[in-house]
Amino acid sequence: MSTLLPHIFNGLTLGLLFALIALGFTLIVGVMEVINLAHGSLFALGAYFALTILGGGWIEGTAVGDWWMGVPLGARYVLALAFGPVLAGVAGMALELCVRRTYGKAPLYGLLLTFGAALVIEEAIRVGWGTGEKSLPLPQAINGAVLIGGLIFSWYKLFAAGFALIAIAAVWLFLERTPYGAIIKAGAHDSEMVRALGYDLSRLRSLVFGLGSALAGLAGVVMVPIWGLRPHLGVDVVIPAFLIIALGGVGSFWGAVIAAIMVGLAVGITGAYASAWSMMSMYLLLIAVVSFRSRGLFGRKSALEV
Amino acid sequence: MITLSDIPPRAGAWLTPQIVVFTAILATAPLWLGTIGLYQYLGIEIAIWMIYALGFNLLFGYGGLHSFGHGAYLGIGAYAFGLFQHHVGVSLWGGLLAAVFAAGIAGALVGAAVSHRRGIYFALLTNAYGQVFWFSAIKLHWLTGGEDGLLNIPRPTLDLGFARVDLNDNMALYFFVATALVVSVVLLWRIANSPFGRVLQAVRQNESRTAFVGYDVWWFKWAAFVISTLFAGFAGGLFAMAQESAYPDIMSLHQSGLIVMMVLVGGGLVGFWGPVYGVVLYFVARDVLGTLTETWLLWYGLMFMAVVMFRPEGLAGALHVSARRLPFRAAPRRASVGPA
Repeated sequence: MSTLLPHIFNGLTLGLLFALIALGFTLIVGVMEVINLAHGSLFALGAYFALTILGGGWIEGTAVGDWWMGVPLGARYVLALAFGPVLAGVAGMALELCVRRTYGKAPLYGLLLTFGAALVIEEAIRVGWGTGEKSLPLPQAINGAVLIGGLIFSWYKLFAAGFALIAIAAVWLFLERTPYGAIIKAGAHDSEMVRALGYDLSRLRSLVFGLGSALAGLAGVVMVPIWGLRPHLGVDVVIPAFLIIALGGVGSFWGAVIAAIMVGLAVGITGAYASAWSMMSMYLLLIAVVSFRSRGLFGRKSALEV
Repeated sequence: MITLSDIPPRAGAWLTPQIVVFTAILATAPLWLGTIGLYQYLGIEIAIWMIYALGFNLLFGYGGLHSFGHGAYLGIGAYAFGLFQHHVGVSLWGGLLAAVFAAGIAGALVGAAVSHRRGIYFALLTNAYGQVFWFSAIKLHWLTGGEDGLLNIPRPTLDLGFARVDLNDNMALYFFVATALVVSVVLLWRIANSPFGRVLQAVRQNESRTAFVGYDVWWFKWAAFVISTLFAGFAGGLFAMAQESAYPDIMSLHQSGLIVMMVLVGGGLVGFWGPVYGVVLYFVARDVLGTLTETWLLWYGLMFMAVVMFRPEGLAGALHVSARRLPFRAAPRRASVGPA
């Protein structure tokens, strides 16, 4: 058991990080019933924006760039953590203008459109930032390793997991305890009625898509120091997100969180016995659950089933 | 808007004018492929992907079953062909049979597990199974050769009894693949327009109603899935022969998404020939745009987004609409009796 403990701990942290990835996805799918396959690409885009904010990138070599690099890394990191996601959110709102044309059609069209968008964003990243593998510089305070109970853990992983916990709590509070959350949930439940009550539905959808994309970008900035940054990162990310939503059930907030932690644990524990096959376990978990419960663990009936 | 359910003229025939024209284009392709700046091997690739795409469209367009993991069966066919050549014996028909059977068995098993699902959940499950096959292809190193795949797959000699053709020549292989394509087209045309095909279209339009009319919907979905995997496996076997190798990349999500893009852009949702246009457009875009710019996928992706947004009926639908607008045509009749 004691040999398994670090793997369980690893699985739990991974699960929290998966939950962070799935948050934006579940928001968009739950409210707008659009499967956003560009989610992973927005995740990567957020991280690339953060990279530019951190390292200068395009302004490197100019006087402004030199001054910027003189700013302490910690301050630049905080700015990147804030503005990387915001820029990803803006990109998401631009994407929503395209997705708008598929409302009222079969859900397949939204899914296909965002698949095309994923391809476009990935190629745009290649053009803008090059094809090579990149890494985000981290401030000293959250770098390095820490010893817990005689076992070495990466300090950053703990930071990321803690950050994921905060983000999950914040999104939950936003949805459950603010009037904006109430409107968003009402929009998911009965969009006609929300419109009749005088709320601007298209602005609401645009904001939700932007928020979901910003959460994708946030997950990107937090995850990339662990997973590395490359243009085709999007595909590696969107599959687990998709899978977690299917497992947890479309439109269920806690379903997504619980499914993410299950997937994290499955990957972590399989990693203990057959590390080469660890990523396979999440597909098998999905097949096992969805074969018996078609709507996932906590899913409710949605328009996606037609 | 026209739909696939419009009954085309001569739907019950084995041979239609379109099939004759298509065969003529295929037969003469080697003569003009070079003059328009393309090359012989591209013809082989396009023909193979047409078999794959047409088989896929029986499921995707006619059945409305959106499989997002179909690359797996193409890959299984390719591996089966290669493994047969390496371990059983160098034989063309044996290898192709192995490819078709392996993909068909995998398709029958997966089909049995997914056929009681519909809509997005069908897409999800097929995607998950596809990922399992893809992942296995990478990890089962002793069987599949891992990331590199199976290399040095021979192109066996075509033995017709009265003549032997060496398929190492790309021209000979092209004619072999083109013949296979024509046979596949005729078969799929008959399947799509048979009573079976009609029920399949009814399943797409309203699954519950089809069940109430008395059809065993599960069986029709399963059969459509298996038929499309048989064609995917066949195409995979041909692909392994053309590439002289089989590798996991063709099973990836990316590739499974590309076939969906091709079928949709071509207009597989509105016409039998949609996938044909889509495959041609994709490969020509790859080769023509690819020589102009390294970011051709960016432009292809943007074009795809535009198609989904403005012309979801694809190229076949656009051609149909512009044909209707020609001045010498009579005013449009009721859409339900128009040609598809």
